[in-house]
Amino acid sequence: MTWLRGYAALYLLFLYAPIILLPMFAFNDSTIIAFPLSGFTTQWFAEIPNTPALVKSVQTSVFIAVITALLSTTLGICAARAGAKYRFPFKAPILGFIMLPLVLPEIIVAVSILVVLLALGLPLGLWTVVLGHTLICTPFCIAILNSAFSNLDPSLEEASFDLGESRWSTFRLITLPLVMPGIISALLISFTISLDEFIIAFFLTGTEPTLPVYLWGQLRFPQKIPVVMALGTILVALSVVLLIIAEIARRRGIARTGGKDTGGFL
Amino acid sequence: MTPIVSLRNVQKYYGTFHALRGIDLDIAQGEFFSLLGPSGCGKTTLLRTIAGFEEISSGTLVLSGQDMAGVPANKRPTNMVFQSYAIFPHLSVAENVAFGLRRRSELDKAAKLKLVEHSLQMVGLDGFGARAAHALSGGQRQRVALARALILKPKVLLLDEPLSALDKKLREQMQNELRSLQRHVGITFILVTHDQEEALIMSDRIAVMFDGEIAQLADPQTLYRRPTSRKVADFIGVMNFLPARTKADGVEIQGLGHAKIAAEQCPAGTPSGDCTVGIRPETMSILFGDEPAPARETHGKVHELAYYGDMTYYDMALDGVEKPVTLSMKNLVGRRVLERGETARIAWDERALVVFA
Repeated sequence: MTWLRGYAALYLLFLYAPIILLPMFAFNDSTIIAFPLSGFTTQWFAEIPNTPALVKSVQTSVFIAVITALLSTTLGICAARAGAKYRFPFKAPILGFIMLPLVLPEIIVAVSILVVLLALGLPLGLWTVVLGHTLICTPFCIAILNSAFSNLDPSLEEASFDLGESRWSTFRLITLPLVMPGIISALLISFTISLDEFIIAFFLTGTEPTLPVYLWGQLRFPQKIPVVMALGTILVALSVVLLIIAEIARRRGIARTGGKDTGGFL
Repeated sequence: MTPIVSLRNVQKYYGTFHALRGIDLDIAQGEFFSLLGPSGCGKTTLLRTIAGFEEISSGTLVLSGQDMAGVPANKRPTNMVFQSYAIFPHLSVAENVAFGLRRRSELDKAAKLKLVEHSLQMVGLDGFGARAAHALSGGQRQRVALARALILKPKVLLLDEPLSALDKKLREQMQNELRSLQRHVGITFILVTHDQEEALIMSDRIAVMFDGEIAQLADPQTLYRRPTSRKVADFIGVMNFLPARTKADGVEIQGLGHAKIAAEQCPAGTPSGDCTVGIRPETMSILFGDEPAPARETHGKVHELAYYGDMTYYDMALDGVEKPVTLSMKNLVGRRVLERGETARIAWDERALVVFA
């Protein structure tokens, strides 16, 4: 089976070599992206706060990502709870359609939303990007929250109700604490997806570009590329950290309810 | 005395599925009552309608003199011990037990603590209050669930197969403990179980359910000795069924011969023509040597046997009977275990027979 190991190594190299190159050139003391590396510098990182348009685009992206995370997680909670707890007509097709954007090409989602928005005469802006991002993030949230809600023994809620609590206090005292790790995990993952999403943001953004859209615009200027690399390094690090926190939260949640691990992203 | 639980013609439909078909039931204060039946017979549905988790489709349900129509589970004078125990995994043992006291604003913190301590003591878990609930063993969870339900002093405690997840030894121990706990607190217990032995051991009265109906409601001894139908007889313990014909002064049983029958031996009514006679394995025995038969005698051949240690179960082929009859013998000191194919004399007694139409 040595050739399988070789294949696995090659596969990982193909996946991650570009990402490893990113920090290498971010710390390289040259505007030309080529080997050999010429020296170590942190000047590209220092330049980030001195680029007002860049700072503005980071602010825009973070704003959109926070709103998207809150919206899609809220929608995800509702859908996952309904899916785990209730039986209703056409349940499978309804839940299937909610999950569909997961596999739908983003370009199609982006173009369709754009067509609809233009037809309705709505102006493009932050909120149209939030709309698009919520659409693609919600399925991810549902996927994460499904495991949290379906690991929840339904008799726990019944027991709380039986012991005198109302439906709402039961949700607050029992359900919410037990699915909280799943909620945190969903918030972090949807935040991450929204933060670095390009296609939908490119189509639906108005006068304020998001970070990925701004970066794409800067690629035309070779002397700006090292700064882009520096920022990219920060984003990769941030994404990895957020995903790890999300996964830890999800696993802790499963351990807490004493359930079995049935999936997840890591 | 007015019953604590009273059901009149209770019906429950799930869509087109008829889960409860006209249940009439009165349960007295302080009774240990069991709902016994195979899975899908409606026993859990019935328990959940009493708890308030399921609405009844029609009929009336009265708890402690109050009609329960439209009263949700959190306002009913009942508490439940769930099959999975439903211990809140993110709370400590004491927090679990105290959960139902949250709404008792008339109690101060010290009074609540005292109640929790007392409850834990009652179920043999004193000193466990600070433990994390998810770190408990199955038997301990069971006790926490009991303490949590009993702390509210419900009029009726509902138990949904509470012992089914425990191993045999622990289950037998908990059966005794539950029984003495019930006598101690004097609260009405309604137990759902599919284990007939458990129901016989623990209950004052048992309702046997099949297909959404109560097939028989009786105390354990009556249920075992005088089942009103073959189905009930077959579900409770082991019973041999032999074809028979009614005669003027009794029945003519295949393989056993003529037998006189008292009226009480026909709990389902006096049969006529062809009928079935039931006889329990332990009411028959093998006669060794020239030991005289205490009552009636027949003979048969050992078809199959099963050695249980304390008992041996023999399947005996009788002359003129298609299916071998099962009888059980205690393995007393010096008593031989027969071998397959051996012929033996069998003692039986007409008083042990039950006749079904």
